[in-house]
Amino acid sequence: MHTKRLKNGNLITTILFNTLVIGFLFIQIYPIVWLFVASLKPGLELVSQPFALPDSITLDNYRRVLSKSNIWIYMKNSMVVTGQALILIVFLSAWAGFAISKYRFKVNRLILSFFTMGIMIPIQVTLIPLFIFYSKMNILNTSISLILPQVGFALPISIMLFVSFFKFIPDEIIEAAIVDGANDLIIFFGLMLPLIRNTVITVLSMYSIFIWNDFIFANTFISDSARKTVSIGLQDYIGAYGNIDWGATFGAICISLIPPFAVYFLLNKWVIAGMTAGAAKG
Amino acid sequence: MGILKSKKYYLTFLLPGLCFYLFSVFYPILESLRLSMYQWNGIKDWKFIGIQNYEVLYRDRVFWIAVINNLKYLAIVVGMQVFIGLLVAIMLTGIGKSRNLIKTLYYIPSIITTIAISQLFRSIYSIEPMGLLNILAVKLSQGQLVKPWLSDIHTVLPAVSIPEGWRFIGLYMVIFYSALIALSNDVIEAGRIDGANQLQLLLYIKIPMIIPVIRMSLIMCLTGALRGFDIPFLLTNGGPGYFSELTTTYMYKKAFSSLQFGYGSSIAVFIVLESFIVVWLINLLYRNNQVEE
Repeated sequence: MHTKRLKNGNLITTILFNTLVIGFLFIQIYPIVWLFVASLKPGLELVSQPFALPDSITLDNYRRVLSKSNIWIYMKNSMVVTGQALILIVFLSAWAGFAISKYRFKVNRLILSFFTMGIMIPIQVTLIPLFIFYSKMNILNTSISLILPQVGFALPISIMLFVSFFKFIPDEIIEAAIVDGANDLIIFFGLMLPLIRNTVITVLSMYSIFIWNDFIFANTFISDSARKTVSIGLQDYIGAYGNIDWGATFGAICISLIPPFAVYFLLNKWVIAGMTAGAAKG
Repeated sequence: MGILKSKKYYLTFLLPGLCFYLFSVFYPILESLRLSMYQWNGIKDWKFIGIQNYEVLYRDRVFWIAVINNLKYLAIVVGMQVFIGLLVAIMLTGIGKSRNLIKTLYYIPSIITTIAISQLFRSIYSIEPMGLLNILAVKLSQGQLVKPWLSDIHTVLPAVSIPEGWRFIGLYMVIFYSALIALSNDVIEAGRIDGANQLQLLLYIKIPMIIPVIRMSLIMCLTGALRGFDIPFLLTNGGPGYFSELTTTYMYKKAFSSLQFGYGSSIAVFIVLESFIVVWLINLLYRNNQVEE
């Protein structure tokens, strides 16, 4: 088909398209490559010629970040929050998706649209009410304060993903299991759980990145530096007088990017499937 | 639809998620509505003042500046994400090899945390030491275009909008690309037999066929831009003056810096209404077009 298009259309268009796509690709990727290169430059060179290729490569920036800062604590905090939130998201949304698609109740349509409405709601609306609630309950600066809204706002899309997947599982399988005497719990955990594996991976990979990257909840609910997550901890390298240790900042950013990059490059098919699902399901 | 009937198990599966959702998404909306009728500075007693916060909001010059800025921000972000995204997606369908690699690479900025992106752009815009943009400006214009992009009142709003537009181009490109290659070949082939050229095929067949996807993307993108916060907050925090203030950054300042929690809540209610109105408008537009066809 491709060769046919070449013959029909013209070579110039193809060359133009290639050039433009590569050009835009350069704009998308260059800043990130530069970030990595800059993190390997000695401090002085970073100031005098920030965009040249480095004369000498140094790991000083990384050494400074790893030895003198809290980055390990921040990474650990981020992992705790992300891990707990993911477990909740997967179970709560797989259960709700199962209930909505496999039980014969009329309210299901209404409940599903109630959940999907959440996609439109701006997360900022929760900040003031939750902040007041948390300070009354004394749970500011805890991982719970982050997990609650993270899970709440993840549910609409992940429930939607599970519902659309459960539709493909024929009711006959469940019927057969009922005849064999299975109860609802066995049907879910024994029969459904292995089948929904792909959706689980999609939800896990997408939300691990979103939650790891969260800024606004952490910035509002966490002030104790022992509790900071890595996404707000990256601000540490802006010095007290506003002067920024760029070398350390870039080093710290590169370290913080390792987990999302690992997830993305290992599971990019699923990450993309999840993130684009919102529009594709329209 | 549905085969199981046990009410007990149904509730067991449904309620945990529903409760979480009600508490962390719905309760805050209702609570914001309630708080917006009060005056509270974090210390003294709550004072019920009815719709007074909204009256003040209506006369608040800075708030309206923020709303207008937010619309400009939205125009830049949506323009970049939807138009460039669609453009690249279309071009990508005309490219034979390495589509998947290109797709994967384009997507990378979408998975990077906003602080990293803000710091990256802070250094790109930097004037002391010279950042990438100013180095380019020196090369292109002998230095006339060199400026402190983030503190110049004419450039600050585009400067804080572009990083947000830039980072999600890949996401929308992938959405449009998947929609375009999923189109049924029969219709396109029929058009080709009727003598349509590539451009006509694109304008009259392919794009009309992916309108539902474009509509959902617009909804995602517009509501996303209305709640835009991280990058302007980190880069300039609304400054200089109010030249890059958005509704969300203004709400945040009012609540968490000035401790006017009631007033902040009324801005939050405004942001929710704004999002609902945008979704409603797009659906209206979509339905009207459907009828015409």
